[in-house]
Amino acid sequence: MLLQLNHIYKWVKQGGKRVFLLNDISLDVEEGEFISIMGPSGSGKSTLLNVIGMLDEFQEGEYMFLDESVHTLKEKHRSKLYKEYIGFVFQAYHLIDELTVYENIETPLLYKNIKSSERKALVADMLDRFNIVGKKDLFPAQLSGGQQQLVGIARALIAKPKLILADEPTGNLNSKQGEEIMELFKELNQEGVTIIQATHSESNAAYGNRIIHLLDGSKQHQASN
Amino acid sequence: MLKNYIKIAFRNLWKDKSFTLLNVLGLSIAFAASLLLGMYALFDLSYDQFHKNKEDLFQVYYAEQKPGGQEVATSMPVPFAPALQQELPNIKHISRYISDHALNLEAGKELDLNLIFVDPDFFQMFSFETVLGTKEVLKDNAQISITEETAQKLFGKTEALGETLDLLINGRREVFTVGSILKDPPVTSGLRFDVAVNFSHSPNYTENLDRWDSRNHSVFIQLNEDATASDITQSAVSFTDLHYKGNIEDLKRDGAQPNANGNYLELHLLPFKDIHFADFKGHSLKVSRAYPYMILGIGLLILCIAGINFVNMSIARSAQRLREIGMRKTLGAAKKQLFFQFWSESVWVFMIALLLGIGISMALESSFRQLFNTPATLSHLSSPVLIGVLVGSFVVITFIAGGYPALVLSKLGTLKALKGKLDLAGKNRVRNTLMVVQFSIAIVLISGTLVLKKQLDFMRNKDLGFNKTQVVAVPLNGKRANRQDVALLRNELAGKPGILSVTASDNNLGLGKDGSTYFSRMGFDYKGRGVHTNMLVVDYDYPETLGLQLKEGRTFSRSYSGDSLSIVINEAMARELQEKDPVNKQIILDDSIKYTIVGVLKDYNFQSLNKKIEPISLFMKSDWDLYYAFVKVAPQNMAQTFESIEDAWKRIEPNAEFLGSFLDENIDRTFKRERTMTTIITSGSLIAIILSCIGLFAISMLVVTQRTKEIGVRKVVGASVAQITFLLTKDFVKLVGIAFLIAAPVAWWLLSQWLQDYEYRIELQLWIFLAAGLLAVFIALVTISFRTIRAALKNPVESLRTE
Repeated sequence: MLLQLNHIYKWVKQGGKRVFLLNDISLDVEEGEFISIMGPSGSGKSTLLNVIGMLDEFQEGEYMFLDESVHTLKEKHRSKLYKEYIGFVFQAYHLIDELTVYENIETPLLYKNIKSSERKALVADMLDRFNIVGKKDLFPAQLSGGQQQLVGIARALIAKPKLILADEPTGNLNSKQGEEIMELFKELNQEGVTIIQATHSESNAAYGNRIIHLLDGSKQHQASN
Repeated sequence: MLKNYIKIAFRNLWKDKSFTLLNVLGLSIAFAASLLLGMYALFDLSYDQFHKNKEDLFQVYYAEQKPGGQEVATSMPVPFAPALQQELPNIKHISRYISDHALNLEAGKELDLNLIFVDPDFFQMFSFETVLGTKEVLKDNAQISITEETAQKLFGKTEALGETLDLLINGRREVFTVGSILKDPPVTSGLRFDVAVNFSHSPNYTENLDRWDSRNHSVFIQLNEDATASDITQSAVSFTDLHYKGNIEDLKRDGAQPNANGNYLELHLLPFKDIHFADFKGHSLKVSRAYPYMILGIGLLILCIAGINFVNMSIARSAQRLREIGMRKTLGAAKKQLFFQFWSESVWVFMIALLLGIGISMALESSFRQLFNTPATLSHLSSPVLIGVLVGSFVVITFIAGGYPALVLSKLGTLKALKGKLDLAGKNRVRNTLMVVQFSIAIVLISGTLVLKKQLDFMRNKDLGFNKTQVVAVPLNGKRANRQDVALLRNELAGKPGILSVTASDNNLGLGKDGSTYFSRMGFDYKGRGVHTNMLVVDYDYPETLGLQLKEGRTFSRSYSGDSLSIVINEAMARELQEKDPVNKQIILDDSIKYTIVGVLKDYNFQSLNKKIEPISLFMKSDWDLYYAFVKVAPQNMAQTFESIEDAWKRIEPNAEFLGSFLDENIDRTFKRERTMTTIITSGSLIAIILSCIGLFAISMLVVTQRTKEIGVRKVVGASVAQITFLLTKDFVKLVGIAFLIAAPVAWWLLSQWLQDYEYRIELQLWIFLAAGLLAVFIALVTISFRTIRAALKNPVESLRTE
């Protein structure tokens, strides 16, 4: 078991009433799964991903990650945990504009205090694997959206995470670029990386081996193929 | 990691070129200004601090209980120092001190020299380094010490031991042998001289050898290391009781009250290191380093304004970097790492600004020295301790100004940052507070400028009771007897066009080009009371030449034969004598000589304007010396007439320098400190305003960018350009308003404190502060209008599309 959510509730107060962002969500994720979370805007997809990614808090419920109870951990330990095991991929790529492709991919390693020679090797591997060696000295603004997202994924993978959380990874891309990214995710999953993605699109969701439907913060039904 | 930080720092700074430029510009101006001001202030503070024995060196002064309260005085009688050394314990060295001047008579090298009369201990006490010869040179009466510069001037070499000097001192000619050569006194020495001579050569030395009632010099002492100043005050009680018995009895008779210790006359010691900062104001001695500290303070305020700019701009700009912060956090950056990253960016900006600032200050150093008339140089800042302090303060400033924004940014929540949401309300409070501080400083400095200027103008234009525009004062520095020179000058100028009258006296008005000041006071008994007066020896036509107003009686006149026993007094003196009708009253001086008061002059300001007008008596004794000639000229062609006076003087004394100047110049010269302070405050407020504007401009730029969408929407729903401009402007004006409310009382208090020093001063009026406030508002309005009006004019479709 990679992670387990038990009866997670998250709400905000609006005019004295609780508005539920997550309403009694329970979810078990095994290593090697590829899960798609679907639902309309505002259904809580991103919130759920953020909770899983430990970027956001929740009011009630339990969250176990690799047998550690996240909800009782201090901020410092939590960030250590996600730094170690989770990689993030965003809809808007969130590359750092002032850094080159190479440096963007390198950044997580810097925060892990990995030695310079080792960093070089790891980044070179990653550039090679994604076929972007020729672009390593370009800045994000000089790349197409698909290429930027490729860099984003490379950056998420560089630290060898167990889990990749992808929030609408293809949302800003055209369909061809989107397809390429999804193929890449599939490949990664086959290599053993656990992936959870939030998406609007049925076709993208179909890449996953499990789909979770959300509406107004609640799980609708569960299907697997 | 570090390389990565540096790289991204420079890329970021480059990306926001305009902000980086504004920041670097503002900070480097501030660094340069505060370096120069710091140099000026630290130089002032280092006065007289170079003496190795400074902790044990003191000047002796009296505190006397006069009927009107305590008075302090530093001038001592000739037998005082030897008696003190003999009768009191713990005095290691003692030296009397008179500063005078002498004329070198050797042909071809007639030169006016600054001369001091001191006792042989002088060079043991003070650290004036002896290069050749011994420190005990003055034990031999015929030997003197001269400085290297003087030796170079007189003999063309510094190895001048054994050379002879033929000097004219106060009309007496004496020959000396050079017994030692001294290093030139450092510029920070308050004691300045070319030649040091044994005290026994001082004027009237033998006459005064046993007289305790004639005081004409300062006394410096060096205590044994374990003795304190208060020990001396205590052990001197029996000394004063013995030697000042007569004085003390007179004080008792005149109804003086003893001080808290039950004494009428006490000796006190003023630490020598405080002398430069001491002000003997008649009643008390005030040691105050407020002036250099104020200048240092202005430097700090300027740094503070620039620092605030930096903080405000960094925080405001951070909105654009929120995503980066969020991203870095999800990539695993710890708070510490983020803090260090942002802080290091600030450090670069500060480093560049500091280097530029040092460059600017070096480039401006010489003009600064000219403008503020100071010998201070940046090399005065180069001692290891000071460099340590400077580096330390740089680190502190960088830490606070660079660290605060870094702290704010690194503490942001990951998700909030990723979504680009900045908790603006809180940040704006800090920003607004800082801007209020900034504008308060600017308003205080502006009102300071206005008040100082007004006071200076007031003093310059005040009617002093004499004609200062038409009178030229000429120091009599020739080698002939001075009375002879006056007579010759009268002859030379008689009948020349533009010359109205010629006279002379023994004291100048204001500060002449000869740079010398002195005063002469005496006390005597009148109708069983002790009274005091300033003395002035004059020649015929003195009141007429200077345009002094006669109130009663007559002035000195050639038609009365006995005028050498007549005196003319001022109104203050009449009050001192408590005589309603003083004309024809007699006073008795020197036990038996009767002087008759023949006239009363209206009060005039013969001393500086921070003193009340004191009693003065004019004597016309032909056997007393005169030191200054006064020439009244017609108001037409004054420059030409001035030249003819110079020519006449050159004919009479071809070898003496002509140091004549109009009295209004002399008066102006006494305002050196006020002028310097006005210039410093004016430039300080100018820089403060410029820096505040840079900050305000940058903030308005950001606010407008942040509110682009709001502006667009408002325009779409029908707001006019004026309404939008008003909306954007009003917040800033409000801040300046608050700043005014804070700054005005502070400025009022500070300035009224400062004006207390002046007996003659302007009244503080509300309009000065209102003007300063309005000026600040106006400048703020102009600064922000650049951006706001442009934003308001923008087509709303454009601004909405960008969202």
